[in-house]
Amino acid sequence: MGATDFVTHMARISGLPRTAARERTAEVLRHVGLYEERYRQIGGYSTGMKQRVKLAQALVHDPKVLLLDEPTNGLDPAGRDEMLDLIKRTGTDFGITVVVASHLLGEIEQVGTYLVAIDAGRLLSAAPITTYTARTPVLAVEVEEGSDRLAASLTDHGFKARLDGDCVLVAMEDERLYDAIRDTVADLALPLIRIQQERGRLEDLFRDGAPTVGAPAEGSVQ
Amino acid sequence: MSATARTAPAGNIYDLGYRHYEGKRHGRWYAVWSLYVEGMRGVWGFGRPMTAKAAPFILTGLYALPALIQLAFSSIISQSIASGEASTRDIATYSDYFAAASFFMVLFLVAQAPELVCRDQRYHVLPLYFTRALGRADYALARLAALTTAVFMALMVPMIALFIGDILMKPDTLKAIGDEWPRALPSIPASALGALSLSSIALALSSFSPRRAYAAIGLVAYFLLMGIVPDVIFQVGRHAGWDWADKLMTLNPTGAISAAADWFSGTPLVTTGREGGLPATLGADAYVLAVVVSIVVFTAVLLFRYRRMPA
Repeated sequence: MGATDFVTHMARISGLPRTAARERTAEVLRHVGLYEERYRQIGGYSTGMKQRVKLAQALVHDPKVLLLDEPTNGLDPAGRDEMLDLIKRTGTDFGITVVVASHLLGEIEQVGTYLVAIDAGRLLSAAPITTYTARTPVLAVEVEEGSDRLAASLTDHGFKARLDGDCVLVAMEDERLYDAIRDTVADLALPLIRIQQERGRLEDLFRDGAPTVGAPAEGSVQ
Repeated sequence: MSATARTAPAGNIYDLGYRHYEGKRHGRWYAVWSLYVEGMRGVWGFGRPMTAKAAPFILTGLYALPALIQLAFSSIISQSIASGEASTRDIATYSDYFAAASFFMVLFLVAQAPELVCRDQRYHVLPLYFTRALGRADYALARLAALTTAVFMALMVPMIALFIGDILMKPDTLKAIGDEWPRALPSIPASALGALSLSSIALALSSFSPRRAYAAIGLVAYFLLMGIVPDVIFQVGRHAGWDWADKLMTLNPTGAISAAADWFSGTPLVTTGREGGLPATLGADAYVLAVVVSIVVFTAVLLFRYRRMPA
């Protein structure tokens, strides 16, 4: 069975009349990026193409909500990016609410606007994704060596600094912080790589043991 | 998310933007009808490559071949009957045709019934159906209706050929149609009953395997065993004096269907009592009852299977 036949059939099962089913099928297959190959047998498709066909059959009757479970499973990196782009467009351009279940937090960050984090059946938190990835009042100072000396020196100056690998994380409480870092690095003659304001990451949700709703996870990002 | 359609798309120049569907939407019965139509196309291989059409058409052709040969030589046959060289008993009739050619019809079912139900399980199409308006029983019955219609069509091909052949044998065509019609008519309900019986058996058994090959093997095994085992027990029972053994003969699906065809046409059963013959103790109505019971049982099995199937 070809992709066109299959999606048309699914459209009719969804209640679309014959001609409407054909038109919608042609449109939707174009939207998901299947062109000439849509007349070939689905059996000969790659995993990525099959995923597109499945997305097409889910979109063909113009639903209000779309549920996707691990939509990028089994796709190569290029196919993954295309699929994510497609999901994003489905949400923004098509005006369809998309609910994606995924354990790949990077993908969620890429396509989502709102996150419900569930760990082992327990609700961790639920909020717009921007709140998780917003800038945090923490400066990351990365040096090639001597990060321990830098941290000690900054602590001596009265800043809250802690070591994180080659980085020193300093709480931004003071206007003088940038100057202090500059001076300290110069004094210690350290090879400075970057000074950057830290962004929250979704991974933080699942760190530090098992956080509860609104507990460490939210405290550290807001 | 925003409900704005047709915003400037990020895609390429072919992209006209997404358009929402505002038109008519049909309900559950339309979905069942669509599935039925798709099933019919699937059985005959329409909308699929030529290889998918080969099995159903070749097997239907083989099943109808004796009748077609009789049709082709109808003028010669009518001459030899007129001259007394052949008797009307030697030519195939509506009611005994299935018994003679049923092997090819069983092959038709072995080839096409798994096609209808196994792929949907294997490639996880069922969840896509069940999230729509289609129910589990709807799915099973639409599939059964599709296969029954297809088998009925295949069964009717030789009946029509016999009808045309019988008319051409007579000198007065119009009068022949009038004479032949009442004899041909019972083949329609007989074929319908046979089609429903064969389809319910084939679909119910096929639905237990997601792989077509295993389903086909199961079907072959069922039809072979049901053709042999009751007969063996009946023959042994005749010598051993088991008076219940004759009822087992109704379990043979093809045998019961051809005996039921005799009931519809009113021809007496051939119960000569020789080895391999039908038991003289059972009338044709017993076989009709057996066919109806088997339809009910296997349809129930099919529905039960789809109620329990994890989708």
